[in-house]
Amino acid sequence: MSSEPLLRVENLKTQFFTDAGTVRAVDGISFEVHEGEIVGLVGESGAGKSVASMSLLRLVENPGEIVGGEITYRGETIFGLEEGPDGELREREDMLSNEEVRTRIRGNEIAVIFQDPMESLNPVFTVGGQLREFIELNRDLSSGEAREEAVDMLREVGIPDPEERYDEYPHQFSGGMRQRVLIAMALACEPNLIIADEPTTALDVTVEGQIIDLVDDLQEKYGTSFVWVTHDMGVVAEICDRVNVMYLGEIVEQAPVDELFYDTKHPYTEALLDSIPRPDRTVGELDPIEGVMPEAISPPSGCRFHPRCPDAREVCQRVHPETKPVAVADGEPHRAACVKHDAFDVGYDESVPLEKEPQTSSESETDAAVSPEPAETNGGGESE
Amino acid sequence: MGLLRYTVYRFIQAIPVLIGISILTFVLANLTPGDPVRLMLQGVEADQEMIEQVEARYGLDRPMHERYLDYMAGLVQGDMGHSFHRNRPVSELIASRIGPTLLLVLSAYAFALVTSIPLGILAAKRRNEPFDHVSRIVALLGVSTPSFWIGIMLILIFAVQLGWLPSADLVYPWWSPEAYGHDGYVEHLVETIRHLLLPMIALGTLQMATLMRVERTQMIESLQGEYVKLARAYGVPERTIMRKHAFQVAQLPIITIVGLNLSTALGGAVLIEFVFNINGLGRLFYDAIVQLDYQLIMGITMIIATMFVIGVIITDIAYAYIDPRVTYGEAE
Amino acid sequence: MAVGESQVGSGSEPETKELQAGWRNTLRKVMQDTTARWGLYVITFVLAITAYTLVDGNLSRLTFGNVSDFAMAETLPIFEHPERLPPPGEAETNVPPAFHPDGTLEHPLGTDPNGRDYFTRIVYGAQVSVSVGLAATFLGLVGGTIIGSVAGYYGGWVDDVLMRAIETVYAIPPLILIIVFTVFVSGGSPDVQFAIVGVGIAFIPVFARIIRSEVLSVREMDYIEAARAAGVKDRNIILYHVIPNSFAPVLVYATLQIGVTILIVAGLSFLGFGAQPPTPDWGEMLQTSHGYMHSNVWLSIWPGVAIMITIMGFNLFGDGLQDALDPRIND
Repeated sequence: MSSEPLLRVENLKTQFFTDAGTVRAVDGISFEVHEGEIVGLVGESGAGKSVASMSLLRLVENPGEIVGGEITYRGETIFGLEEGPDGELREREDMLSNEEVRTRIRGNEIAVIFQDPMESLNPVFTVGGQLREFIELNRDLSSGEAREEAVDMLREVGIPDPEERYDEYPHQFSGGMRQRVLIAMALACEPNLIIADEPTTALDVTVEGQIIDLVDDLQEKYGTSFVWVTHDMGVVAEICDRVNVMYLGEIVEQAPVDELFYDTKHPYTEALLDSIPRPDRTVGELDPIEGVMPEAISPPSGCRFHPRCPDAREVCQRVHPETKPVAVADGEPHRAACVKHDAFDVGYDESVPLEKEPQTSSESETDAAVSPEPAETNGGGESE
Repeated sequence: MGLLRYTVYRFIQAIPVLIGISILTFVLANLTPGDPVRLMLQGVEADQEMIEQVEARYGLDRPMHERYLDYMAGLVQGDMGHSFHRNRPVSELIASRIGPTLLLVLSAYAFALVTSIPLGILAAKRRNEPFDHVSRIVALLGVSTPSFWIGIMLILIFAVQLGWLPSADLVYPWWSPEAYGHDGYVEHLVETIRHLLLPMIALGTLQMATLMRVERTQMIESLQGEYVKLARAYGVPERTIMRKHAFQVAQLPIITIVGLNLSTALGGAVLIEFVFNINGLGRLFYDAIVQLDYQLIMGITMIIATMFVIGVIITDIAYAYIDPRVTYGEAE
Repeated sequence: MAVGESQVGSGSEPETKELQAGWRNTLRKVMQDTTARWGLYVITFVLAITAYTLVDGNLSRLTFGNVSDFAMAETLPIFEHPERLPPPGEAETNVPPAFHPDGTLEHPLGTDPNGRDYFTRIVYGAQVSVSVGLAATFLGLVGGTIIGSVAGYYGGWVDDVLMRAIETVYAIPPLILIIVFTVFVSGGSPDVQFAIVGVGIAFIPVFARIIRSEVLSVREMDYIEAARAAGVKDRNIILYHVIPNSFAPVLVYATLQIGVTILIVAGLSFLGFGAQPPTPDWGEMLQTSHGYMHSNVWLSIWPGVAIMITIMGFNLFGDGLQDALDPRIND
C-alpha cells in the first residue's frame, strides 16, 4: 500500500489550557491511514488517543486547542499552521475553514462512532429520526429518500424489524443495538474514513464480539478505512491492520499488527502485552506495569516511559526518543521510540541501568494492566 | 397504560391526599386553645343567646370527628359551609373570587416563562461572558427579594412617581367593557393589561429568576452531552444544535419545576393581592383569617391546596407525555 | 457525594476520621469559590449585627416575649431605642433620610411615622428575620431528617404512611399553611414563637424528601449491609452511618432554605401574622410603610433592601456550596 494515504497526520499537537497548567494531551504524533485499512490507536486512559481522534475532525473544544502539526485528508488540509509575517503561527491559507470542515468533512467524508451509545443518542428523538437527520445532512437526499436509506442501514447492521424500530427511542434499544445504530449512522453517510472511539468498551464481551464481526463484514463490503481507538489489545489483534501505540501523548510504537505482537520493539508495548491475563496459561501472579501513567501536564524528562520501564537506563532520562524506523516488515517500516535500538545512537549499551523507584500515586491503583476483559463501563477512556 | 388511564390513575391517587388535606386543615382550624366561638365573634356584639346560636349552627358543641364527617358529607355535595362574617355560602364566595386569582397567577407564569427561557438559554450559550454574569446576578436578586416588596417598589415607581400604571385593582377581561366604561374591546384589553402588568411582574419575578437559573444549568449540561458532540461530529450546524438537540432535552425538568412552583405562586398570590388590593382568593383568605371565619378559611385552604395538587398532576402528565423515556406505569 | 467506604464496626471512629477529611476538603473548596466567599461575608455581617442586637437588648429578647423596657438604648451611640415611642410632642415623625435636603445626620435613614429612628429599627429588624430563619430551618431540618431517614431506611408501609403525610402537608402552600397554623394555635394573637414552629413544620416535607432519597441510595451501599451483618443496631446505623453520608446535599439545601424561610417570615410579618409591633421587623415595617406610600416613600425602601441583602448572603453561600460539592457544573 504505497499509494497516497487517505489521511496523513504529521506532528499533531493538541493542548488544553487549564488553571492547573497546560496539558499536552497530544504532543507530536504522526501516522497515516490508507484506503481500506483499519489503523489502531492503542493506549491506556489518558494517553491522548481520544483527543487525537477528535482533533482529526477539529472537534476539540475550549479549553483545548490544536496547536501544531498538520492533518491532511485526501490532499486537503484539515489543519495546518504556518509562520506569519510577524513570526507568530497562524492558520494556513489552504486550511479549510470551520464551515468547510463542518459541511464537507464531518459526516460525509469522515464519520465517528463514539464509545457510549447510551449517551451518544439523544433520548428525546427517535433513533430513526436521528439517523435520517444525519443522512440528509451529509448526502444529497431528500427527506423521504433519507428515511429509506436509514431503514436500509438499520437492516444492514443487523437490527430486526427496522421499519418498526425506526420510530423507537434509544432507551428501547439494548446497548449492543444502540452501538449498531451508531455504526449505521457512520456508514450511512458513506464516508471514506470512520473514527471509532472505543466503540466496544462499554459493551460486554459477547456483544463486543458481534460488533467486531459486523464491522469486519461491513468494512470488507464498503472498503471504508478506520481509525480504531481502544485500550484493548485483544480487539487490536482481531481487527486492526496496522497499529499505533500511544503513551502520554506520543506514539511509541507503530507497526503492522502481526509485527507488533510477535516482534514487539518497545518496552511499553511489551509490558502491555505481558500484562494481559491469558486463559491458556496459568501463572503464579499477574504481571502489571508498575506505576501509573503520569499526567500530561508535566511529563517525565527524556523518555516519558522511563520511570516505569524495566529496561530503563540512565541515558533514557536525558534523551527524548523520536519514533524512528527500527525494522522493516513486508516493506512496511516498524517504528519505535526506544533508544535501546541501534537506530538510535546514544550509547544505550554503555549506560547504567536505572534503579526502579516505586511509584507512589495516591488515588489510582498501582495495577495499570490493560486487559481484554471489559472493565466497568466507567473504566475506559473517559478521562481524555 | 395509555395516557388517559394514567391521568385517571393519578387523579385517583390524589384522592387520599385531598382527604388528608381536609383532615389537616380541619385539625388546624380546631387547634385553637380556648373558645373558638368567642374568637370568631371577636369584635361582634354578642350575648349568650347568640353564642349558643352560633355554636349550634356550626355544630361546635359536638365532638370533632362528628363535625368533620358532617363537613365532608357536605363537601361531597358541593357545600363548603357558611361564612359567618359575610353570611354567604363559602362555595359562592370562592367561586366569585377565583377568577382574579387565576388571572394573576397564570399571567405571572406567562411572564416568568416568556422571560426566563430565552434568557436562560442565552446565558448558557454565552457562558462566563458578561451577559452571563449579569443575568446570574439578576436571577440571584430575583430569588432574594420578597415579591410583595417588589410590588410596593413597582407601585412607588410606576404608579406614584411616574403615574404610568394603576396602583391597584384588576380589570377582568371576562366582564363587559361597558361595565368599566371602556370604549370597545381594544381599550378593554389594554386596560386589562395595564392593570395586570405590575402585579404580574411582582408575583412572577421569583419564578422567573428560579426558572432562568435552572434553564441555564440545564442547557449547559445538555450542551455538554455526548449526543451534542455526536451531532457536531456529523456536521449539524450550531444553530440547529442549540435549537433542537440541546434545547429539547433541557426542557424536561423545567416542566416539573413549573408545577411545583405553583405552591409558592399561590402563597405569593395572597401577598400580591394584598399589596395591589385585588379581589381574589388570596385577599379573601386574608380577610377570613383576620375575622377567624372558620369555614371560609377551611374552604379556601382546601381549594388552594386542591389547585396545587391538580396543577402538579397536570405537569406530571405533560412530562410523562413529552419524555419518551417515561412509561405510564410509573407512579412518580 | 457520599464519603468513601468505611469500615464495618460498631463504632464511629474510622467513619468520623474520613468524614472529617471530607468536610475539611469541602470547606477548602468552598472558601476558594468567590461566590461562596462573598456570601459568607454577607452572612457574617448580618449575623454579627443580629448577635449584637440580641445580646445588647437584654437576653430576654431570645424568648421573643414582649419586652416593654430594656437596658440597651445608649450602648452604641448610633442606635436609639427601636421600640420605645418618643414622648408625645417630641416626636419628629416621617423625617426623610440624611441625604435628603430635609433630613438630618441624627437620623441617617430618617424616622418612622411614630418618630422612632429608622436606622436603628432596620438594624434591630435583623433579629426576628435571622433568628426565625435559622431556628425554623433548623426545626424543619431536624424534623425532616428524622422522618425522612426513618421512612427511607425502613421502607414498606412505614415509608408509605410517612410519605403520604408529607405529601399532604406539602400540598398546602407554605404561606397559607403557616398563617392558618400560627393564627389558630395562638388563639388569634399570632406572634414570633408560633411563626417559628409553623414555618419549621411547613418545611419538614422538603427536607424529609431529600433525606429520604439520599437514604434510599445510601441504604443500598455495601457498608450498610456489612454493618447490619455485624449486628449494629438499626438506630446506630441510621445515626452514624446513614445520616452522615446523606448529608452533603442536604446542607446545601438547608442554606438555600434559610433564604426561603426569611422570605416567608417577611411575608408573614407583612400581613401581620409574625412579629408584632413594637418589635422591629422588616416585614412588619413594610406593612406600615405600605400605608404611607404616598406621603413617605423612603419607609418602603430600606426594609426591603435589608431583606434582600440578608437573603442574598445565604443564597450566595448556598450556591457556592453547591458548586463546591457538585463538580459537574463547574464554571
